[in-house]
Amino acid sequence: MKIHRTLTIIAIILITWSASVSAEDNQAEEIMKKAHLALFYAGDDGSADVVMTIVNSKGKERMREFTMLRLDLEDGGKQFYYTYFRKPHDVSRLTFMVHKVPFETDSRWLYIPAVDLVKRISADDKNSSFVGSDFTYEDVSGRHWSEDNHKLLRTDILGGRDVHVIESIPEAGHKGFSRKVSFIDAKHFLPLKEEYYDKKGEMERVYTAELIEDIEGIRTPTLRKMENVKKNQYTVVEFTNISYNVGLKDNIFTERYLKNPPREYIK
Amino acid sequence: MSMIKNMAATLAAVLVASAGYAGDPHITGFLQGLYGGSMDENNPTASEMTASETRLQLRLESFSEGAEFFGRLDFIYDDHDNPSYDWELREGYVKFRIGRNLDFKIGRQIITWGTGDLIFINDLFAKDYRAFFSGRDDQYLKAPHNGMRAEYYSRLGTVSVAYTPRFTPNRIPTGERLSYYNPLAGNIVGGDDYFFEGRMPEAKFRNSEIAARFSRYFGSTDVAFYFYRGLYKNPVGMDMVNMIAYYPRLYVYGASVRMPIFGGIAWLESGYYDSRDDTVGDDPFIPNAGVSSMIGFECQINSDLAANVQYQNRTMIDYDKYVAGLPEGMIERDEMYHLLTTRLTRLLWMETVTLSAFAFYSPSDEDFYGRFSISYKHTDALTFMVGGNIFDGKYEYTDFGAFQKNDNVYVKVTYGY
Repeated sequence: MKIHRTLTIIAIILITWSASVSAEDNQAEEIMKKAHLALFYAGDDGSADVVMTIVNSKGKERMREFTMLRLDLEDGGKQFYYTYFRKPHDVSRLTFMVHKVPFETDSRWLYIPAVDLVKRISADDKNSSFVGSDFTYEDVSGRHWSEDNHKLLRTDILGGRDVHVIESIPEAGHKGFSRKVSFIDAKHFLPLKEEYYDKKGEMERVYTAELIEDIEGIRTPTLRKMENVKKNQYTVVEFTNISYNVGLKDNIFTERYLKNPPREYIK
Repeated sequence: MSMIKNMAATLAAVLVASAGYAGDPHITGFLQGLYGGSMDENNPTASEMTASETRLQLRLESFSEGAEFFGRLDFIYDDHDNPSYDWELREGYVKFRIGRNLDFKIGRQIITWGTGDLIFINDLFAKDYRAFFSGRDDQYLKAPHNGMRAEYYSRLGTVSVAYTPRFTPNRIPTGERLSYYNPLAGNIVGGDDYFFEGRMPEAKFRNSEIAARFSRYFGSTDVAFYFYRGLYKNPVGMDMVNMIAYYPRLYVYGASVRMPIFGGIAWLESGYYDSRDDTVGDDPFIPNAGVSSMIGFECQINSDLAANVQYQNRTMIDYDKYVAGLPEGMIERDEMYHLLTTRLTRLLWMETVTLSAFAFYSPSDEDFYGRFSISYKHTDALTFMVGGNIFDGKYEYTDFGAFQKNDNVYVKVTYGY
């Protein structure tokens, strides 16, 4: 009888403990979902001019200038991206289009106007560098929150703001990182900082939102930095002329507009 | 010559001046030096330089409500054997839209379609193999057409029609800088005595070119059907009365499929070449009809290494009649031609260094063509490139074997602005 009671107590403790753990995990996943939506799905669509500065370990700078259009077909779901390159000269007027469906392989197209060539690009490796920068394709278009296991490590203060510190572990064998620690703003849920760890568990890259501005009522990181601490190099991305809910139609994200940039949005 | 120079100067002035008036014009372009030398002492061309040129490209773009203008003008100083100036309007077109679904592009333009990587079956727009074989940028492989293109977009798919009033042939080696195989001489020739030029057809409507395509997506698979009515793009016909090569009449019907599969992109394309001047197939001086097909696959091996492979097959129709009609002593071509190609591209140092290799190998013709290059982007504006073109062949009369004395290496410096 006594043994039976002890077992019951142990069972109750175990159940409540595991329930509290999963509640914490749910909370962490919920925060990461909000962060993902805040960073990658702001508004129903958006357009922005982007200047990307890539700085190598010797301090040498390279620049990329482009205009980006984005349309969300579903919050957290299917998305279309359109990029029109302006600089440098060898990629000027080149256009790039992505149809992103979470958990599926992206469809990507590149149009090279000098030879009038529409090229479809195999998009198997989302962890390759985006146009030679420290950002990967996955950093640019987002990694779905449900692909990793999240754990709320603590709440903290970063740069005077309350943040949730969340650890994310991907499935074994993920190439991009083995562990990620995100510092998510407790109010607007934008990541203020993310630390990416490599296979050996060493810190490899650090993302920081250097400047967050209010654009049409939406908190937007307008200056973002990705530093590769191992290679001692970094990339800074500056967003200007940002507009949300501009009314982009889905037909813009087709081969017709890939070859003929929509001039109402791309001047 | 001075007239050309004046014209070029006037055009440049117009381009620059119009920049002052147009709404929001962008002028960009590059300055490029390209110097290449032949690696084969026995090359019968007059010059051992395969390239020695300085090129200034001006690009001007302007757009307003509903219409868009684009111009690309090259000025070339060429000191190959007789120093000379030259210029070419690479592109100069207006784009506009009528209604909601119809787009027009009118003027001098470059047109590309089809699925292959440097293999063209249904793309019968002009290629510039002289540029391609001597180290010029990839954009110079496509030669411009003067014409108009209309594209109609609907739910069912896209219909594109390109009309070129004046037949525009491929630019192939003429013996000036690159030697070639001359069937009359029976070997590889070059130099002034063997300057090669096909006879252009008369400027008549029936000699114009019409190329059409219908394309649409089924999910992520893109499917296209093609039609071409014009002439063979190379002077593959022989007028035995006047002893001159010419461009026989050609119709092409084709189709292609391209889709993402196995973590890469695969493509399949085929075309039926209907040789209109030799429908019976017994004229040895005009190519027989044939079917050309290819299959290809491209994938990203890791984050900085991309590769593709292709296989092409060309099969001659009415081969028996071809053989029966062949005069004594003339070289007999195979009924079936096979070609394998591969491309490897490796990016290093944050994509500032590009290593590129492309190889063509035909097991049936037993010939080879390899393109190799290393380029380094010193800054966003300044790029250095070293490259080579290597040809080999058991016979002198095959597609690549014909150029086997043209092995060359080149250096290229580009400053973009």
